[in-house]
Amino acid sequence: MVLWIVLAILTAGVAAILILPFARSARAVPAEHAGEIAVYRDQLKELERDQGLGLIDAQQADYARAEIGRRLLAAADADAEGETSKPSRYGFTTVFVTLLLPATGLCLYLMLGSPNLPAQPLEARLANPGNNIALLVAKAERHLAQNPSDGAGWDLLAPIYYRSMRLGDAELAYRNAIRLMGASPARLAGLGETLVAASDGVVTEDARVSFEEALRLQPDTPNARFYIALALEQSGKRDEARTAFEALAKDSPADAPWMELVSEHIARNGGTVPPPTSSAPAGPTQEEMRAAQQMSESDRRDMIRGMVESLAAKMQEDPNNLEGWLQLTRSYAVLGDREKAEAALKSGLKQFPGSGELVALAQQMGIAVEGVSQ
Amino acid sequence: MIIEIGHYALVLSLAVALIVGVVPVIGARRRDTAMMALAPLGSLVLFGLVGISFAVLTWAYAVSDFSVKNVWENSHSLMPLIYKYSGVWGNHEGSMLLWLLILVFFSALIAVFGRNLPDTLKANVLGVQAWISIAFLLFILLTSNPFLRLDPAPAEGQDLNPILQDLGLAIHPPLLYLGYVGFSVSFSFAVAALIGGRIDAAWARWVRPWTLAAWTFLTAGIAMGSYWAYYELGWGGWWFWDPVENASFMPWLAGTALLHSSLVMEKREALKIWTVLLAIMTFSLSLLGTFLVRSGVLTSVHAFATDPGRGIFILCILAVFIGGAFALFAWRAPMLKAGGLFAPISREGALVLNNLILTVATATVLTGTLYPLVLETLTGEKISVGAPFFNMTFGLLMLPLLIAVPFGPLLAWKRGDFLGALQRLYLVAGLALVAGLAFYYAENGGPVMAVAGLALGFWGMFGALADLWYRANFGKAKFSVAWSRLKGLPRSAFGTALAHFGLGITVLGVVAVTTFETETVVELKQGMTAEAGGYSIIFDGMREAVGPNFTEERGHFTISRGGVTVADVWSSKRLYTARRMPTTEAGIVTFGLSQLYVSLGDPMEGGGIVVRVWWKPFILCIWGGALVMMIGGFVSLSDRRLRVGAPTRRVKAVKAALEAAE
Amino acid sequence: MTRKQKRLTIIAGGMSFIIAAVLLVMFAFSQSVAYFYMPADIATTDIAPGTRIRLGGLVAEGSVKRGGGSTVSFTVTDGSGSVPVSYTGILPDLFREGQGVVTEGAFDAATHSFVADTVLAKHDENYMPKEVADRLKEQGVWKEGEGISQ
Repeated sequence: MVLWIVLAILTAGVAAILILPFARSARAVPAEHAGEIAVYRDQLKELERDQGLGLIDAQQADYARAEIGRRLLAAADADAEGETSKPSRYGFTTVFVTLLLPATGLCLYLMLGSPNLPAQPLEARLANPGNNIALLVAKAERHLAQNPSDGAGWDLLAPIYYRSMRLGDAELAYRNAIRLMGASPARLAGLGETLVAASDGVVTEDARVSFEEALRLQPDTPNARFYIALALEQSGKRDEARTAFEALAKDSPADAPWMELVSEHIARNGGTVPPPTSSAPAGPTQEEMRAAQQMSESDRRDMIRGMVESLAAKMQEDPNNLEGWLQLTRSYAVLGDREKAEAALKSGLKQFPGSGELVALAQQMGIAVEGVSQ
Repeated sequence: MIIEIGHYALVLSLAVALIVGVVPVIGARRRDTAMMALAPLGSLVLFGLVGISFAVLTWAYAVSDFSVKNVWENSHSLMPLIYKYSGVWGNHEGSMLLWLLILVFFSALIAVFGRNLPDTLKANVLGVQAWISIAFLLFILLTSNPFLRLDPAPAEGQDLNPILQDLGLAIHPPLLYLGYVGFSVSFSFAVAALIGGRIDAAWARWVRPWTLAAWTFLTAGIAMGSYWAYYELGWGGWWFWDPVENASFMPWLAGTALLHSSLVMEKREALKIWTVLLAIMTFSLSLLGTFLVRSGVLTSVHAFATDPGRGIFILCILAVFIGGAFALFAWRAPMLKAGGLFAPISREGALVLNNLILTVATATVLTGTLYPLVLETLTGEKISVGAPFFNMTFGLLMLPLLIAVPFGPLLAWKRGDFLGALQRLYLVAGLALVAGLAFYYAENGGPVMAVAGLALGFWGMFGALADLWYRANFGKAKFSVAWSRLKGLPRSAFGTALAHFGLGITVLGVVAVTTFETETVVELKQGMTAEAGGYSIIFDGMREAVGPNFTEERGHFTISRGGVTVADVWSSKRLYTARRMPTTEAGIVTFGLSQLYVSLGDPMEGGGIVVRVWWKPFILCIWGGALVMMIGGFVSLSDRRLRVGAPTRRVKAVKAALEAAE
Repeated sequence: MTRKQKRLTIIAGGMSFIIAAVLLVMFAFSQSVAYFYMPADIATTDIAPGTRIRLGGLVAEGSVKRGGGSTVSFTVTDGSGSVPVSYTGILPDLFREGQGVVTEGAFDAATHSFVADTVLAKHDENYMPKEVADRLKEQGVWKEGEGISQ
């Protein structure tokens, strides 16, 4: 509302200024050629001065003087015969001016403007970030820019970076956290995962070292074990990889979210997979699963389908979520909807072209993905 | 709310521009004072409104309001404050708003300082200015609106293109635009004169200060851009004949011609039609430059966005204004009376020669710039017209002009004495040759032709001094008399001499750098030495450093001569984190007018790094000369004579003046 | 000289200057204009060694080799053809494998490889040399928006 009042005042003010000339009583018309005459007289003076200084000789000066004199006369004559304007009425012009301003202003502004959006200076937003993750991250970043030795801050930020696929930042944050707070299995494994993601799913030497370090600190870190096994697989040591994956599967709870992936890898490396205990991935909660088990087969499928659908809708709104794409793809695969699984996978790849996990998933499912060389 | 006020102010200014473009022009036809009085008033209001919206955008940048799309796209909260400000025009939308701001700024200046103009002329001039404003306001609002919003607002911006994060670039566009857009005033005067159907010597005097101001700023802007390209791009070149550079250089050439032809018109009322045509052409070239740079027809660092819609819009503006002006010219020009006569050898003759050469040179540059575009459109063949073409054609065409420059001011109006001028310049020519030889000898090396080039530079410099020398009559009159005469010379005489002197300096710099420059590309490991220009450059090793929004690898070099350390310099490769974009920051050491330019290349296996070292003798002369030209422009502008001419409203006084004149 | 003669002198002088300029421009065009080629064109057109041309395309992945000193060799490809290029000097900041590049130079008569004296890469991360972008788009090798890391 305040905005509209300000805009109205602005418009009215401009209109008032612009109709000012029409409100005043008619001014005398100044001689149209007065300016010209002044210029020529000035030229004459200049000529005198130049002659006085001896810059031009008398003959040249005379020529020039005659020329300027002719122009002067012509200008003065023109003035004498100049017509004067008749006093006229400005009703139409005033209306034109006063109407054009608000009409053009409003039409265009309503078309282009966003009157409901307040100004949002960053400082003010940072002071009151609310639930906006991006702002919280920005705030933490600023804090860290000023206090780069705050290890806890880096530790907090690193996984957030990783999840939003800012891998370079994530790596830096993990390294800083490790440097400042010391190594922990979670940080080392996180750093490893970041490195793997950054090199398109390949477990590089750096990453492997990091995972091994994590395992040294805490031998049962599952994601570290998984990637070590993956490293073995990628270097062609299938048997060792299978053994490692099987060991991981054995030590993990049956409903652990990574179990499915582990089983797949066991299968790929020539092992046999125990039948999965739960068909749906991490999406539904325990209670929902229990409820689902008590339903009839078709009801159960409907419920799962409903949940998957809601996940799909969520991904549509916020595609910037790698985990979500992975889950969605797998869910469709479980439901046997190959077409949708492919579509989800492709959308995910569009969002995260470099994601090794998606590519790996694609290969498992036997989907050919363009533009990905692996 | 503030953002939206800025947006509305821009919309409202379109309405005001429409009013100023219509009412006063009708008023001028009817000789209606009230309607004409709307022109200066409306122009001031227009400036106020565009000023508000520009201030609002600047504020949005300063406080990093990322709900404004333009700010989000081109700023970053951690960027130094100065670049947040310069970021306002470091992008397409903002730079167009700056263009517009400067346009209405010039309109406001005419409104304030144009009291000496006849009412009808002023109303028409401001009306034409308003037409240009309407076109660009529509362009900004419909295709390049900087006030579009984002909801929800992102938390961090995408950063300004790193190579634009530089102090030189912070001031280069405003200066360049002051020049570019300043020529709109000459254009408006020309069109207004054509509408009014009358044009005379007084017109030339009124238009000259505006042309001069625009020319001066454009000189500064081009020199600044050239220096920026030199030290920021890291290639060591100072002029690339890049289409974008040409786009600003062509209005400068045409503007220089205009400056000289309006002199003839003011003094002798000759070359009327030509001057009007030149005024139209100069601004048309400015518009063409804007089109080339902004439409994305050309790819370069200046083409911020490539949006065909914008290109077509600017092309339409171009067609309407250039086409319209030329049509008006074709219709009205035959009605203009021809002016004074003159002999081929005379001041006028010299200025005509100047105009001839400058326009032909402009046409050459235009051909070279547009030919590839035209050819591609017609046949689909892609060619590149590069530096060799321009050096050959432009360089050769400029030769006669450079030789002729010192003659011009020594010739009298109407009928000059060529032999007299030649006699006076014998000595100058001799001195220039000696100076060229001495210079060549001191630098030892390079082709012998260089002597001619160097002498040409000195010829320009000494010629400018000789002009003042002979005007003050040194050598013939007593020193004290000559001195007082020198002091009595009008400032514009000094302005001319300074500008010509500066031209000589620039020529000298160009010849010296082209001839004596050395370039060394070596692979250096820590502790190794490269040689250039008689200096030894010792590589002390690399170090990592972190800036506010970049990280860099810096190499340190110690420079010594004859075993004595004289300077040290850092040269670095930067990585701007937000855009993950690397840049090269050259290390430059200045010795007198010469520079040592050290640029880092790629690291090699085994710890070495490729280093490129240039020795650039007298390179500062290139921009120093431009600076002197610019000072010349300002000195001329400060001349009392350009400010007088205000009408005293007593026509009777004319008679007395006339009698005195007869 | 009469008034008419004076005018004729001026006009004749001006015209001859303009004609000289036009001839100069035409001569310069014939001397210094470089045509633009993509690797695919090289195979089908006969380009005499020593003729200056511009060669554009993508820098082939894995092809950049640094010799001794500051000589670099790499391959320019457009999907259907490729041309080895050697260049001595410092490469632009944004020269990378898999990115667009325009080189200017000539074919060497002895080795039949392309010796470039100028290498232009993009000015910023959004810039692909226009000639290259157009042609690659025609051939479907490169799509708008690719290579922009956001």
